[in-house]
Amino acid sequence: MNTSQVEKNKKDLILNVLSTSLTGASLGLLYAYGLEFRMLIGVLGGAAFGAALGFRITRKPPRMRYPIYMLRRVLLAATFMLLASMLYSYLLDQGISQAQRYWISILPLLGWGAVVFTIGLAIASLDELQRRIQTEAIAIGFAISAIFVGGYALFQFAGLPEVNLGLALLVMSAAWLIGKLWTLWRYR
Amino acid sequence: MKNRLKVLRAERNWSQAELAEALDVSRQTVNTIENGKYDPSLPLAFKMAGLFELTIEEIFFPEDEED
Repeated sequence: MNTSQVEKNKKDLILNVLSTSLTGASLGLLYAYGLEFRMLIGVLGGAAFGAALGFRITRKPPRMRYPIYMLRRVLLAATFMLLASMLYSYLLDQGISQAQRYWISILPLLGWGAVVFTIGLAIASLDELQRRIQTEAIAIGFAISAIFVGGYALFQFAGLPEVNLGLALLVMSAAWLIGKLWTLWRYR
Repeated sequence: MKNRLKVLRAERNWSQAELAEALDVSRQTVNTIENGKYDPSLPLAFKMAGLFELTIEEIFFPEDEED
């Protein structure tokens, strides 16, 4: 490995660890605020977890061939989304008018938009097989989510308790993960 | 679809990683094509043919055809 490659790897390691620490710290902050424990613990815990993850990602990159700067872009968008969600929660707790509450609800959506956009760019940068894996994973995830959410709605009409719509996001994430594992296994 | 990619690569003493780099795809993609689990797109097939200086038919052939 030549000197410029060593320098580039070193720079990548520093930038990756910084990006993941920042995202981890934002996540920790959001959790600390939501679950009402000390914010410093949330920030430091999240940053430490993020740094460990960043180190691991750099040393053993994911199988998908994303350029590493694209991963950092997704992480920055995720940080923006988490901080916007934190600000949203904080502002909702202040005594503001109903109209203002609606406007504030747009804040996290901007973050979500940024995350979706950067993930889209990252997927578009992959080669044809990896794009196919991602697309199939998303399709499977969508199908599982539709069955789960639609099915629960039917049970809800029959008497099960109402659940927070935000939970659908967790279901979608889990369903996408199942889809991803399935397609990775299929094209192993 | 079957292919002779593994043999052609071995004849040239190329690793999967080297072939992947030459084709600008991931090693996973080369491995999956070699194992017959994924059929490449036409542009990628042409790229392979160009790299090995063969025609597409000399690399890829239908399942029922003997190599």
